[in-house]
Parts: sequence; structure tokens; C-alpha cells
Amino acid sequence: MKVTPRTLEAAQEAEALELLERRAARLREQGENTVEEAVHWIAEFPLGEERYALSLESLRAALPLKMVSPVPLSAPHVVGVLRFQGQVLAALSLASLLGGHGWRQDPAVLLVVDRGDGELCALDCEAIPRPTTLPMSAVEAARVRAEGAVMEVFTQDRQLIHLIDLKRLFSATRGTGARHAR
Amino acid sequence: MPVDPMLQGLVAGFAVEAQEVVQKVTMDLLELEREGLETDALTKLYVRLGRHLHTLKGSAASLGMQDLSDIAHKLEDALAPLKANPQKMPRPVVDILLHGLDLFLLRAQAHADGRGEALPDPAAALAQLVADAPPPEEAAAMVGPSGGLAAIAAPAPSAEPVSLLDALPESADAGWRVSSWQVTALMREVERLREVRLRVEERGRELERVAVLLAKQGLLAETAEARTALSGTARSLRTDGEETSDIVDALEDGLKAITTRPVRTILDPLQRMVRDLSRQLGKEARLSVVGAEVSLDRRLLEKLQGSLVHLLRNAVDHGLELPADRERAGKHHEGALTLRVEQQGNLLYLEASDDGAGIDVEVVRRLAEQRGVVTAEETARLNENQLRDLIFRSGFSTRADVTDTSGRGVGLDAVRASVEALQGRIEVASTPGQGTRFMLTLPTDLGSSPVLVVRVLEQLVGLPMLAVEATQLARAESLRLGKRRAHLEYQGQLLSVVDLGARLGLRALAPPAEGQPLLIVQSGGKRVALVVDAVVGDRDLVIRPLPSEVRDVPAWQGAATLSRGELLLICRPDWLVTETVQVQVSAQRRALVVDDSLTARALHRAMLEAGGFTVHLAASGARALDRLQSDTYDVVICDLDMEEMDGIQLIAKLRERPETASLPVILVSAHDSSVARERGLKAGADGYLSKRECAAGRLLAEVLDVMSRRGSRA
Repeated sequence: MKVTPRTLEAAQEAEALELLERRAARLREQGENTVEEAVHWIAEFPLGEERYALSLESLRAALPLKMVSPVPLSAPHVVGVLRFQGQVLAALSLASLLGGHGWRQDPAVLLVVDRGDGELCALDCEAIPRPTTLPMSAVEAARVRAEGAVMEVFTQDRQLIHLIDLKRLFSATRGTGARHAR
Repeated sequence: MPVDPMLQGLVAGFAVEAQEVVQKVTMDLLELEREGLETDALTKLYVRLGRHLHTLKGSAASLGMQDLSDIAHKLEDALAPLKANPQKMPRPVVDILLHGLDLFLLRAQAHADGRGEALPDPAAALAQLVADAPPPEEAAAMVGPSGGLAAIAAPAPSAEPVSLLDALPESADAGWRVSSWQVTALMREVERLREVRLRVEERGRELERVAVLLAKQGLLAETAEARTALSGTARSLRTDGEETSDIVDALEDGLKAITTRPVRTILDPLQRMVRDLSRQLGKEARLSVVGAEVSLDRRLLEKLQGSLVHLLRNAVDHGLELPADRERAGKHHEGALTLRVEQQGNLLYLEASDDGAGIDVEVVRRLAEQRGVVTAEETARLNENQLRDLIFRSGFSTRADVTDTSGRGVGLDAVRASVEALQGRIEVASTPGQGTRFMLTLPTDLGSSPVLVVRVLEQLVGLPMLAVEATQLARAESLRLGKRRAHLEYQGQLLSVVDLGARLGLRALAPPAEGQPLLIVQSGGKRVALVVDAVVGDRDLVIRPLPSEVRDVPAWQGAATLSRGELLLICRPDWLVTETVQVQVSAQRRALVVDDSLTARALHRAMLEAGGFTVHLAASGARALDRLQSDTYDVVICDLDMEEMDGIQLIAKLRERPETASLPVILVSAHDSSVARERGLKAGADGYLSKRECAAGRLLAEVLDVMSRRGSRA
């Protein structure tokens, strides 16, 4: 027998329970029918017309792009410096690091990431990234194929994602902090 | 002489206070002993000295320490005749007064420790002080280390320096013992609190924006209550933010006071040590300290004190020549010792130099071999610098005899070991006949430095106060304007005028305007007149290292946090005074990028610079108009959607002015519709690009295209 909820809160609660039950049933069904595949967690975000992603484990924080102080005479990809948990970090333009990319919206978010060498930096981003997964096998295959810092990986639904290897990206840009070294 | 038990609790505080006053008196005495002071300066020093001695006398008497009061009284007596007729204080008198002060401090400490009763009667010492005090006219004739009075009255300089700081060890129950990690953890939390404060302030601004948006929706009456509530909450958040800011500042100041202290506190006592030692050795020396106001980690300072003492004793003993020898070599009879302290980011630079005889590398080689420090085969393989570095080897000494000050072969090796134990390094440079310089570089996480904050356009820049010699306003009569550069006539010299804005690539080079602030900046013996737009003020700031991505930029040495939380870049004075190759600005194409997005500005700049443009940036339409009044550009790249003045409005203003009516303008927008494009071109834009289209090649092609259409230098 279906009980009619008496208040708005009770109705919302009933709706949420129903949703959770449906999800649980779907997951049970998946578990019975499919073999679990190893996945790589990523933080996915748009850059111009394309979809880019970082390994989720390298992401430390997502901040609004504010209180960044410009650094005159720095390299073109340096947007400025900011404070993060007592440290001074460099804010870098991802579009510039990737070779002068077009963009759709002015970046409003900074992603604080581990560069792969233990140091942190912030990368600008058009929107707050979405956590999602890629098949580990696809990532590994792309890693073998890729020569640069960006790997092209297809999702299960055949969407192309440009996965950025931060360690490779920063080893390629090392020592270019000054625009006019004089 | 026992102190009233009721007053005993106050005596410890008195001893600390007395130490500070005695230090001031000591510095004044050393100043009075020097030659060349004007009568006004002498009078001021004598008056101040008298006041300090009177304070010591009065405070001691009020706590019932009659012996101390009597000593201070006798010192006042010794000073009185000279005070009436101000003149350079004769050395024997300075000796006596310093000796009296030592006596005063030792007894004050004994009282503070409750050992007052065990003190000997001060009468004998006092009697000698009185007997030794010469009348001024007599004393003035007795200047010189071998004077009879000096022989009787001058205290024998001890082998180890008198450290007034050591005289007052902190009482075991004076406070809490906390570990350094607890303090650094606390400092990190304060940093986080400052970031929270910034977020609170931002939330307040967001609420205000929501209230404005609601008003724009119409329905003013319906939303009145909500808007009032939002505005009220925003105001409260702002007040809370300001209070948090005050708390953060207080916490930071408190932590700074706990963890750091000015370098002056260890350097001032060294003046006395240098004086006493040079007297003992029959030499004359003057110690100058540069950067004494820098505050450093207390632990580091305590560990450094011994090394500094050693370096200075070495400089007096081995470096400086006897006055007669100096004069024969064409030098001033008084040797110059300099201690220079500078903090850059998380590095401390400390330099101890003298203008003495320098290090004779051949003597070093011979002695090192004689003392078995190295073999002749080894020295044959060493270059000059490596030979000089032998002075840091254990067992090395240039003294043939063992004296109170030197000759035991224990010295610079101990200094090096102590510096290396602090993860630092020590280097030496020396020029025969001209002097020796020891340079210490040490890492330091704590500490603060005085910084002068200046503004150029919208950019705030910090300059280490140490490098700023003077400030003045630009006046046409003192400027010499050439075709390519300007010079300032300053103290009989012509200094190059450097525009900070142009040097930082923020604007085109232009001579200073009448009344514009000029800072005389010096570094490494070079001086320039630095043009800025405004002097904001001086701050005592903690300078942090820059991240690796910008560490190579030679203009910057670090960044500091201002009280509102924004980062301030600290400029390197040595970079400012370095001559640069004059860029032929007129030959380069110049672009002005106007965008309220920091990252969009950075991206456009990157693309245009790659295409060979000199790029200047403006964050709003109003600022762009300001820039266009003083600078000329070949093209303007402007964002369509800006808050205060959008791209369409800016174009309208540009087209109104005859000088910018035909200036090529490209509008850039997130809107990629034909309607937006048409609207932009109709408003007078020469080109229109969506931000999506702004990939490197496309922007540059569009820029060159519109410039060629307008007949510019494409």
C-alpha cells in the first residue's frame, strides 16, 4: 500500500528514497551482468570546444579565480601568483601552456594541482571540473602512444578526452619562467 | 645591600629595562668618541646620555638599590663637565663610563637573582671611578691608548667579547617551553585564517551583487525586504571581515615577536666588542651596520652570534693594519668594518667586510704547509680561490704566537662548521691592500624586513628599504633630459632615471612628470633615480620565496602578504640598478589589450608577443583611455563584455577623439553569434573574434589584417 505523504518534506524524502532504491537496483543489475573494469579517475573540464582532463589524484583544490597578482616580465603562460594555504603559488594559463588555445568563456576557476614533482601550482579553467572515469586500459594505451603531455583517450561512449600528463607538461616547460631574462 | 623583599619582584623587570638603557648609553658613548660630530649633534648626545643615566639612577633608587643609584650618580658626575662644554669625548672618559656601566649591569643582575646581599661594597670601585674621571680640558689632552689614566682606568678587554645579552639569561619560570613545530603550525593556521577572512569578504561582495541583481529584476516592492536583509548581512560580513583582519594582524605580530627579533639586538653589542678589542691591539676601528632592522628567527640569531663575533675579531686582529701603517698606505687611520644584513625570500645574506690588508695567498699557502694542514703537493694543485679557502681548514692560523685573540688555529673552521650546521655556506673574497669580505648565505623561514611599497599604474611593488636611500619629487631644474634617457642631478652626481613602469614592461618609457615621486635606489655601489607613480608607505613584511615558475624572473626576489591578503612582489634592487640595453621601442609594433579577465589578458599577451608585438595591458575601458592619453598603440584588442565600460562604449569614446579616431580596434567576445558580430562592427570595430577563435594564429592574422586595412605598420 502506498502511503500518501502529509508534508512537503515528507514528500521530498519519499522521492529521494525511491530514487536511491532505483539506483541500487540498477547497480545490482550491472554487477550481475558485467565484469568490473579497472578505471582511472579524472577531473574533466572544457577548454574551448574540446574536453580536457587531469588525473583526479593530482587535483588538490578548485578555487575561484580571484586575488591573483600579475607578475610583470614573467613567461607568457604565467597569469600571476596567489596564496594558497600559506604558500605562494603560480597561476598558469592552461590554454597558453598548451600552445595558444582558443577558449569559450573567460576562465573563472583555478585548479590547484600537484605538478608531479611534489610542488603545487594553479591552472586556470573555464568551469569547475567534473569527476569521472576512463577505462584504465585506454589510458595506458594512450600513454604508450603519446609523445607529448596530452594523451587522446576515448571514453566508453566514444567521446574524445584530452588527458593531460602534468609531469610531462611541466618537465617540458621547466626553466621558462622569465619573459625577458635581463 | 639587600633589596626590600616587597620590591624583589620588580627588580627582575628593572634588570631587563636597565640592560636596554645601558645598551643605548653604550651606543651614544661610542658615537661621542668619534671625530667630526657637529656641536648640535654633540649637545643632543650629551643631553640624551644625561637623561638615560638619570633614569637609571632614579629607577634604582625607587627600588631601594642604593648602590646602583650611587654608581649612576657618579657616572652623571663624570659626564657633567663635558655636558657643559660639548666636545668629542676623550677615550679615557669613555673607558671609565663603559666600565661603570658594566659594574652597574653586573650588580643589577645580581640583585635580580637575589644575590644582592653577597655583593661587595661598591665604595672602592666608586672611589676609583671618581678618582679616574679627569676634568675635560685635561682629558682632552690625553687621547691615546697609552695615556697614564687609560692604563689605570681602562678595563682590560677580556679574551671573549662582553655580551650584554648573555648577562641576562631568561629565568626558567619566565614562560612556557614550546617546540618550534608548534609555533610553525600556529603560523600556518594564522595564514589559513587570513585566507578565510578574504573569503568572508568575498561572500559579502557576492551578497551585495545579489541585492543589486534583485533590484535590476524590477519587482522593487516585492524584493525590498529580501534586499534589505541581504545588504544588512553583507555589511555585517564586511565588519566581521575587518575584525578578523585585525585579529590576524595581532596574531601575526604576536607570533613575530615570539619567534623573531631585530638583528640589531645582536649587532649593537658588537660595537663595544670592536672598540675594546681595537683598543687592546692599538688599532682604530669603526663598525658600520647596514640592515640592522631586519628581524630574524631568534634561534638563528643566537647561533649566528658566535660566528659574527669571530669574524669581527678576526677582521680587527688580522685584517686591519695599525693606524700608522694605514696612513702610510694612504688609508684613513681608522679601519672600516661593515656588517651588512639582507633577507631575500627565505635566504639571509650576511656580509662582514673590512678595508684592511687583505689575505696574502702566498702566506696562507706557506703557513698551511708549515702547520701540516695541507702538503706542498696538494697546494701545487690549488688555484688562488682554493688557496684562500684554506683559512677555513681546521688547525690553520696566520698567527705565529698564541694571543688572547688568535693563534690557536681554532676559528674560521669553527665559523664554517657553525654556518654549515645551519644549512648555510660561507665564502671569502679578498683584494690585497684593499680588504676582505666574508659572505654568509643561510636559509631562514622566519623573519621580516622593512619594505617600501610603491605603485606603478595599478601594480603595487615592494622595494627593500635597505636599498632606498632617499625619496624626492621630480623637479625640472634637477632633471637633465636626453633623447633616450633622463638623468637626475643628485648630490653632485648625475644618476640615471629609471621608470619602474617601463622597466617592468607596463608602459612606454617617458620622462618623469613634474612632481612625480623619485626614489634614490642603491645596490652594490650603484645608484639610480627610480620613477614611480606613488609611494604608498613602509611596511615590515615577511618575504616569501617565489614559486619555481617565476623564480627565474630577475626582477623579483620574493613576495609578501599585505594586510588585506593580496600578494606584493618585492623587487630586486640589483636588477633595478643594472644597465639595460635600450630597446628600440619605436621600431616595434605595439598593442593594447583591454580585458577585465586576468587570464584573457595573459593569453592575448602571449599570442601577440609571440607575433613580435610589444603588449601593454588594461583591466578596464577607463584605464585603457588613460593609457591612450600618454602612449600610442598600433592596435587595440578589446573585450566586448566588461563591467564598467563595455567594448562598444570604449570604441565610441575612441572614435570621438581625433588622435584615436582611426586606431584599429578588434573586439573579442565570448558571444559567437552573427548578431553580436554585426553589432560590434557597426559600433566601429575593425574586426571581431569570438574567444573560441582566438587560437594563436587566428588572433595574429586578424590583427595584421585590420592594421593593414587601416594603413598601419603591419
